[in-house]
Amino acid sequence: MTTTTAVTAAPGPGAVTTAAATGQQRPKRKRELLSLYLAISPFYIIFAAFGIFPIIFSIYLSFHAWDGIGSMKYVGWGQYGYLIHDNEFWYSLLHTVEIWVISTVPMLMLALVIAFLLNTQIRFKTAYRVAYFIPNITSIVAIAIIFGSIFANNFGIVNSFLHALGGGQVQWLTDPWGIRVAIAAMVVWRWTGYNAIIYLAGLQAINSDLFEAARVDGASQVQTFFRITIPLLRPVILFTVIMSTIGGLQIFTESQVLIPGNSGGTNNAGETMVLYLYKQAFTQQQFGYGAALGWALFLIILIASIINWRLVQLRGRD
Amino acid sequence: MASSRRGFLRLSAGVAGLGGLSAASGCGAFGTSKNSSDKLTLWYWNRSIDDGLLAESPKKISGLKLDAQKIGGSYKPALLTTLAGRASVPDIACINSDIATYFPDSDQFVNLYDHGAKQYESLYLPWKWKQGVTPEGRMIGFPMDTGPTALMYRRDVFAKAGLPQDPGAVSQRVKTWDDYLEVGSVLKSKIPGTVLVGTISTIYGQMVAQLARQYSGPDGRMLADLSGVKNAWDTAVKAKKMGLSLGSAENQPDWFAGMTNGKIATTVGAVWEAFIMLDGAGSTSGKWHCCRAPGGAGNSGGSFMSVTKYCSDPALAFKLIAWLQSPANQVKSYTDIQLFPSAISSLSDPAMDKPDPFFGGQRTVDVWGTSAKNVKPALLGPYDSLISTPITTELTNVENAGKDPNRAWDDALALARKQLKHAGVE
Amino acid sequence: MRIAKRSILHLALILGAIVSLFPFYWMLVMSTSTTEEIFKYPPKLWFGSKLLVNLRHVFDSISFWHALLNTLFVAVVTTALVLFFDSLAAFVFAKYDFPGKKILFVILLATFLVPTQLSLVPSFVIMAHLGWVGSFKALIVPSMVNAFGIFWMRQYAEGALPNELLEAGRVDGCHFMRLYFNIALPALRPALAFLGIFTFITVWNDYLWPLVILTNHNKQTLQVALSQLNGIYSTDYSMVMAGTLLAVIPLIVIFLIGARQFIADLTAGAVKG
Repeated sequence: MTTTTAVTAAPGPGAVTTAAATGQQRPKRKRELLSLYLAISPFYIIFAAFGIFPIIFSIYLSFHAWDGIGSMKYVGWGQYGYLIHDNEFWYSLLHTVEIWVISTVPMLMLALVIAFLLNTQIRFKTAYRVAYFIPNITSIVAIAIIFGSIFANNFGIVNSFLHALGGGQVQWLTDPWGIRVAIAAMVVWRWTGYNAIIYLAGLQAINSDLFEAARVDGASQVQTFFRITIPLLRPVILFTVIMSTIGGLQIFTESQVLIPGNSGGTNNAGETMVLYLYKQAFTQQQFGYGAALGWALFLIILIASIINWRLVQLRGRD
Repeated sequence: MASSRRGFLRLSAGVAGLGGLSAASGCGAFGTSKNSSDKLTLWYWNRSIDDGLLAESPKKISGLKLDAQKIGGSYKPALLTTLAGRASVPDIACINSDIATYFPDSDQFVNLYDHGAKQYESLYLPWKWKQGVTPEGRMIGFPMDTGPTALMYRRDVFAKAGLPQDPGAVSQRVKTWDDYLEVGSVLKSKIPGTVLVGTISTIYGQMVAQLARQYSGPDGRMLADLSGVKNAWDTAVKAKKMGLSLGSAENQPDWFAGMTNGKIATTVGAVWEAFIMLDGAGSTSGKWHCCRAPGGAGNSGGSFMSVTKYCSDPALAFKLIAWLQSPANQVKSYTDIQLFPSAISSLSDPAMDKPDPFFGGQRTVDVWGTSAKNVKPALLGPYDSLISTPITTELTNVENAGKDPNRAWDDALALARKQLKHAGVE
Repeated sequence: MRIAKRSILHLALILGAIVSLFPFYWMLVMSTSTTEEIFKYPPKLWFGSKLLVNLRHVFDSISFWHALLNTLFVAVVTTALVLFFDSLAAFVFAKYDFPGKKILFVILLATFLVPTQLSLVPSFVIMAHLGWVGSFKALIVPSMVNAFGIFWMRQYAEGALPNELLEAGRVDGCHFMRLYFNIALPALRPALAFLGIFTFITVWNDYLWPLVILTNHNKQTLQVALSQLNGIYSTDYSMVMAGTLLAVIPLIVIFLIGARQFIADLTAGAVKG
């Protein structure tokens, strides 16, 4: 009863010892259990009321053909059968993973470093924090226009810069890899500050005496970062890794606003899984197939999340 | 409703799930009832109806109480959601040029022929009128604006290249699309770095917009003979081989920049494209002229007004529509918010005939109006996008990734057939 | 040497800040320009003089203040409820054992993964059944507690809430709600600050669901109202940007309030007890 459960990621002594084991205070324990269940109940009540029906609906829908208005037609496993042989879906999976890797990894590392720096005794902290967080609330329309201008093929800022340096131009918005890099750049730009804020919040939980002690012992900033910050931040890092896995595999907005046409541009290079789902459901009105795609997405994200959870935990045991 | 609420919450999804599913599949207990409010709700986009006219309408139509709701952005998902959920469906809805996608579910809309639409038919451009009528002859969309197309070209660039500049002379020079490409090679050789068009997709799209037979027949199936579309494809590919395009998608920053600095010398597009160009490349205003497009008249865009089956008073709703879209009010909508009319008599209204500063003071209504009158009645099918999207995507691959055009065409058609079969059409 | 290091540090941070801020700066420039100037090539990088004109257009086109009040109401209520329910559940998951804990938490995590892209229609059907279409309840109730916040707060509480402290409280006979209010909440302040900022912004920027559920004018939220500024063929971007700018200001204020909780000493004292 006193050890942590398997899902608990953090090291440490674990949960509060309860009185249940002693046997003398059964009624008290019962009362306490009741209040514990009450405390966590709102989530499950709301989920039961508003979350389950959409899930059932979506499962039901994935076995039908439906244009969104008229009557549904039962097609059995037809949508899933189509999915297995749908090259465009498998490519969208590949593109999503590619964009995810080249965006998420640098994004989380950068965020960690920024948070660490902003947590030290440094001037203009508040100004920096606001500056790094601002991308997350900048209007997506403004972002689309500015990134479109930055990465424009012929008259873009990046290409003008490359040209001035004597380099060749990259067809950012039409070359398959250019598209992926441009989308990833936009993801990194929008979400690094956000993750830095999460880490910054996490750092507040670390007793500042520890940093002070490290400094007194003559540890360098780099040593402090790797020996103290990262290990103690592990639960929060796990949180960001899982959320970035889920969010990253559902990348959609960046791709949609940067590349016109909802198809991800040349060779569908920027077509992510959710963009493909969106295209099938809302522009081609194949809602049944959209639902099947949704469940394929569910499975993929589930697997990726489990793998990442294990990875972060394993590293914790080293 | 109030009594079922607690039960619903307690039993949660099971019961509600079944209720909702049967409602969504069209046989539920709830869903056939009409809207009960004494007001008519109207859904429209910003600048799709003249707000002044809407404000005036209750005074003009006796008994009308109007609740006009401007729905921005994701209009179609919102409308589909209300139709699917059978709740809060507007009485009257504006529908975009993809009206054919609603044809398979035309029972969701009132047949406007039942409310006297026939007597208005002769007032409107026949091709536009037909677009709102299903193959079974139910009229679900009343004509709003249209998007006649024309060739727009930079007079100054043409002068520099030794090409004619007068709209009459230019239209003589570019009668066909081949003529158009030929002008492109003149531009390219006389002023190196200049291109005919921003993207070859423009050529493809505008050639298709001129076709009477585009992608599908009346049954929604793909035409056995796609020669019109294939010809458009081949011409676009030829333009790519001749190096006449910049490879920048329409209405994107690169495209506007190319317009602004005079690298893109022409484009073919609908009347509303000129307003986008005015916004996006405003410094070129006055340097443009327009004339008949190569290949002739075409249409791109334009909207319709529909009455849903939930409407409590379809007769009154139709009265409002007929009044809003009357020839006189379409002229007013053009002068106020540049919606190009679909009523025939509006086109010759003196108020339409004004010098256009964007086109260097040219009186353009003749160009657009002539195009509008000569559009061939095209059959637009509900599943056209399943065919057109693979083709335009593959055309992008040809333009930007150097994909072999023959392979690209075959891939596009293979995907189109696969998608149509998946949608249960073929 | 130290000064040199500091300077390099600041230089790097400033460079990053410029990159971060540039699109926002561009948004400011756009809202002070005409639409024509926005697309100018080469780009116009300095402020124009049209801010007031653009703002007037916004105020003429939509009932801005009304929509602002609606959004404030929904955002404040939702955020307050989320902070309470999420932190309470997270506290229990982080620091107590009880039968079924593991499976309940796995269920909670699994709800993240469920594809929500197609839940628009079924959610709408539920609200239609409840008679909540056109009511703020349809926005607030389904989002008043969420898995994201519970997961986040639980992860945070693992490190931030020393068991000894809770144990001491229990020995003193504190009921668990007392422990929650007196010990957990103060220690969780930075995490609450992030969750508050995040929830507020999410609710503030939510668009598709309010669009579908609140079509009547007097219930519109800000994003729904602003979306009306998009035209059918072309959009007056300068006006849209001016409106967007106004809508973003409250978010910056919320961020500044929330970020004040990230001052190390403030919480260190509480945890040390």
